[in-house]
Amino acid sequence: MSSNMLIDKNSPYCPGCGHMNVTLNLAKAIDSLEIDPLDVIVVSDIGCCGLIDPSLASHTIHGLHGRACALASGIALAIDNPNKKIIAIQGDGGATIGIAHLLEAARRNFNLTLIVNNNQIYGMTGGQLSGLSNENFQHENANIEEPLTPFNLIELAKSAGATYGCQLIGKGDFTDYLKKAINNNGFSIVEILEVCPSYGYQKYSEIENLGFKTYEFENKRNPFRLYKNEIKSLINFNESKVYFESNLDKPIKIILAGSAGEGIQSAAELFARAAISCNLNVTKKGDYPITVGTGFSVAELIISPNEIHYTGIEKADVLIAISQNGFDYTKTKIDDNTFVIADSSIQNLISSNKLTFDFQKTFGKKNSAISSLFTLLILKNIFPPEAFENSLHESKHREKFIQLIEKIKSFLSEINHPA
Amino acid sequence: MQTNYSLVDGSKLIVEALAKSGVDAFISYPITPANWINQYATKRFPIMTFAPDEITVAQWISGLSAAGKLPATATSFPGLALMIESINMAFMMELPMIIVLAQRLGPSTGSATVGAQGDLMLVNSLISGGFNIPVFSVSNIYDCWDITSKAVHTSVNLRTPVILLTSKEMIMTSYTIDLNKLPEINRAEFNYYTSDEVYIPYQADKNYVPPFLPLTNNKHQVRINSSTHDETGTIKKATKAAIGNTIRLHTKIQRRLNEYLLYEYDNQESDLLIVSYDISSEATRDAVKFLNENGIKVSTLFPKTIIPFSKELIEIIKSYKHIMIVEENLSGLLSKLIYGIETPENVTKVNKIGSMITPSEIIKEVEKCLQIC
Repeated sequence: MSSNMLIDKNSPYCPGCGHMNVTLNLAKAIDSLEIDPLDVIVVSDIGCCGLIDPSLASHTIHGLHGRACALASGIALAIDNPNKKIIAIQGDGGATIGIAHLLEAARRNFNLTLIVNNNQIYGMTGGQLSGLSNENFQHENANIEEPLTPFNLIELAKSAGATYGCQLIGKGDFTDYLKKAINNNGFSIVEILEVCPSYGYQKYSEIENLGFKTYEFENKRNPFRLYKNEIKSLINFNESKVYFESNLDKPIKIILAGSAGEGIQSAAELFARAAISCNLNVTKKGDYPITVGTGFSVAELIISPNEIHYTGIEKADVLIAISQNGFDYTKTKIDDNTFVIADSSIQNLISSNKLTFDFQKTFGKKNSAISSLFTLLILKNIFPPEAFENSLHESKHREKFIQLIEKIKSFLSEINHPA
Repeated sequence: MQTNYSLVDGSKLIVEALAKSGVDAFISYPITPANWINQYATKRFPIMTFAPDEITVAQWISGLSAAGKLPATATSFPGLALMIESINMAFMMELPMIIVLAQRLGPSTGSATVGAQGDLMLVNSLISGGFNIPVFSVSNIYDCWDITSKAVHTSVNLRTPVILLTSKEMIMTSYTIDLNKLPEINRAEFNYYTSDEVYIPYQADKNYVPPFLPLTNNKHQVRINSSTHDETGTIKKATKAAIGNTIRLHTKIQRRLNEYLLYEYDNQESDLLIVSYDISSEATRDAVKFLNENGIKVSTLFPKTIIPFSKELIEIIKSYKHIMIVEENLSGLLSKLIYGIETPENVTKVNKIGSMITPSEIIKEVEKCLQIC
């Protein structure tokens, strides 16, 4: 019978190689399932098993050593069609290198079949042992350590979530197992124990004498699906905006310094949005330790009537310090010209140009940052406080801010320090 | 023109520009400082998921690309290092993909939250054998929009992975931008094979690039190969035809450079030219503005297509008496790329690690240079 799938009957492998019987069985399985070869994508690994491509009428993609299952997973991510058959072929060496890839493919239940041609050794490189080599297997190039138990690939795949798995000895006709694997709508793995005339077992009876028997499992689970998220533009080009006037005539560099959990970054962001509503240019960046939930949290803001290029702050025009952590981290960025607004709890506040307030006592940990920025707008003519109020109103925490704004206004009405 | 100001960061602009240019799949692995890009990506692409490790990311995006999607990822040096073999694979297979490289302080894991410009020579030599993949560099917030788009179009047109080189401070700082200043972005279009004749997967057209068919098509057999192969896509040892195919991969990148060469050159007819890229461009702009306002003329050159480094840029550089190269790394990587290990006497390198180079440091170097000159 002529085959649709097999286009070259000549073996690309060594005479007597176990890979040829796998190639013949695979072609026969595709033919008997009456699958169009152009609905099949064969993903071949590096090694002798990767010589399969020219024998097949399917699409073929030949990748890196150990990565065929990962490459096949990427293809599976692109295809939402169970009639397309993705078949990755690796040796025992490639499967060892890429063992994490097959576990992930099993965990996600990607719709693909992984065939592992296990002839016990890395054949192309001269017969080194792999993680799937049997502990009784002996080879002159491999006897450099005590025999080790091989990975049980099928059990690993099963525990990771594969929905079909089978280990079999690669002689004769085993198309029924390949057909089950290919028909399974999810991740299938078939490990085929083979001879290797150059370095491995010479006869199938040697493998049979080790006690291997055909073993398979099935497991019902839905194949991998991505959520269909609603995709929309990240930028709203038609945002309606309220504009305010500002007389700011030169850049002002502000550092807002506090601790993690004090809302420093979000307060700075709302302040930046307020500046933008006054047609000002702003840059805002956050600075925090590598572990983001502890220690200092610092926001650097530059507000300018002109375009801003360099976004760093060497010396701040204004430092607002609401807790000790932040002050200690930023105190090297102030000099005599820096105007400092600080919470009254801050120690070692050496500055000739400073004002202290009870932000923390009055407004608590979460609201001190916003309150201190309002205070700055009362004390310095940067842009109208109404712009900041508007920015808070437009935020997602609007309800929470309405009360806070009233409290801040009453607090600030007692301050009489016009800039 | 009326302004339409908005507060955005480079990460957001890059992701939006990728999507508008036709990227429809994004796979990544959590790594600072690429996290903002990865987070925005979860809301912007029809196919988006996190892979378990860096090699898996590179393999999955290769699979997506071979199946006809246009994928992207974002990473930093530690991730890129692990992806190199797979990027070589994608280069050899001729798979379009965009890799956003957010540079951070090295060596090794270095400091994840500190910026740097330390990877230029790595991306210049990423492909084994003396090949380049196109590398684009963003020099300011607006570049995050149109240079990203150019990177996507180049990747599709040349069927090659491309790198968008950026760094922590560029993509994790929020800026005011005028949305009205962002040009329209067009989707990149694949050049599909449309003939009924047998498809020869690596038979290139006169522009050195083979027409594309995905592994999902039902009309023609597609063979894609990472190993040395001839036009048919089947593995070959170093035959003449196979080596010819491999050399074509170099030819397409180099000969078509004029299609994707981008740079910003401000010629002040001065003796001194400052060359910079990525985050240090912004400090350079401030420094030069100050100097020019104070009567000291300085010209600037910001390469945005930085690899291959065009001879056109070399000609500009050679026309100056003095050259200053400003970049945030220890020993001057752009200088090495241009001049090799021996920096000519008329070239001053301004380098630093651990924090951004400041405008005042550049001004000081210019003043020093002008005293000696």
